[in-house]
Amino acid sequence: MTPPLDDVAPPPAGRHPLDGVTRGALFASFLKMGLLGFGGVLPWARRVVVDERRWFSDREFAETMGLCQVLPGPNVVNLAVIVGSRSHGPLGALLAVTGILFVPIAVMLAMAIFYAEVANHPLARHAIAAASAAAAGLIVGTAVRLFIKARPPLRGVLTGGAAFIGVGVLHWPLVWVALALMAASIAAEWRASA
Amino acid sequence: MIAGAPVVVELALRFAALSLVAIGGISAILPEIHRVVVDVQGWMTSAEFADLFALAQLAPGPNAMFVSLVGWKVAGLPGALVATAAACGPSSVLCYGFARWAERAQTTRILPVLRRALAPIAIGFILASGYTLAQGADRSPGSLALTAVGAVTLAFTRVNPVWILVAAAIVGAAGLT
Repeated sequence: MTPPLDDVAPPPAGRHPLDGVTRGALFASFLKMGLLGFGGVLPWARRVVVDERRWFSDREFAETMGLCQVLPGPNVVNLAVIVGSRSHGPLGALLAVTGILFVPIAVMLAMAIFYAEVANHPLARHAIAAASAAAAGLIVGTAVRLFIKARPPLRGVLTGGAAFIGVGVLHWPLVWVALALMAASIAAEWRASA
Repeated sequence: MIAGAPVVVELALRFAALSLVAIGGISAILPEIHRVVVDVQGWMTSAEFADLFALAQLAPGPNAMFVSLVGWKVAGLPGALVATAAACGPSSVLCYGFARWAERAQTTRILPVLRRALAPIAIGFILASGYTLAQGADRSPGSLALTAVGAVTLAFTRVNPVWILVAAAIVGAAGLT
């Protein structure tokens, strides 16, 4: 889907590229990210928002994603909220989130219904069992990758270790573990930043 | 937990509470979803949980859609919609408010502090998620090898993860696990 030329023309001075975006273009762009986002939406999000639509520069996109990752909730849903609300307020946020989430959900439910039909077939059973073993590995790999990128100091390693043990090994309720660790960790980093 | 409450109300309350602490996204709160739907409520087995997760990863779209699949499994289409809205609604409202505030406020100190403070927690939770899923998945030597290969490939290469899942499914269908 190539945007029409007038969508990518440089905006007048003092105007953000997101100011003139139509609701239709907003919805269609996030729908595209969702439907093409096999194995992760983020690469497509960057491509659509930065390269195709030119709503954000690379730098703005990186800064916005940094904010999305700090806030709770799915990163790309947070991105949809920020981009959508900057062009059309709460309605824009709703349109962008609907585009990226609810239509792909329909596709996924269709896949799930199909899978339920074939779930008793040994071939399907073996295939999905193997895929779920690999999917567990993907999540472990994500943690490793984030750890290498963040390279936290010792206090960060201890905080992360406490999060893992509390929730993964001891099966404590995540809400309380999260709130306690967030309070302690934010206080420690705030003091260290002074 | 509300005794006698319809399942969708239970889903809504559980996911709404998790929404605001899901630092690192849905990948971070899998152990809690597992604890609730498998251990506390008994809505599905650990293996079914792992299978649904794989299915959600194979579909296009944000991996947050896994909560929709859990809702669907528990209470059909209403469950899917309620679970999705509850898991994404509160965090989206917070994000909306925070982004508005951040446009005006001086955030040069608070944002890096939040990033350094919250990143280790997110990493610990995501690792716990992988650990939980690996326990639910098949634990034959072949499956454990697939888990290890998946982890190493994702951590150290730029291969699209969906190909890792497709390759694993083919290996499984061929009876090699």
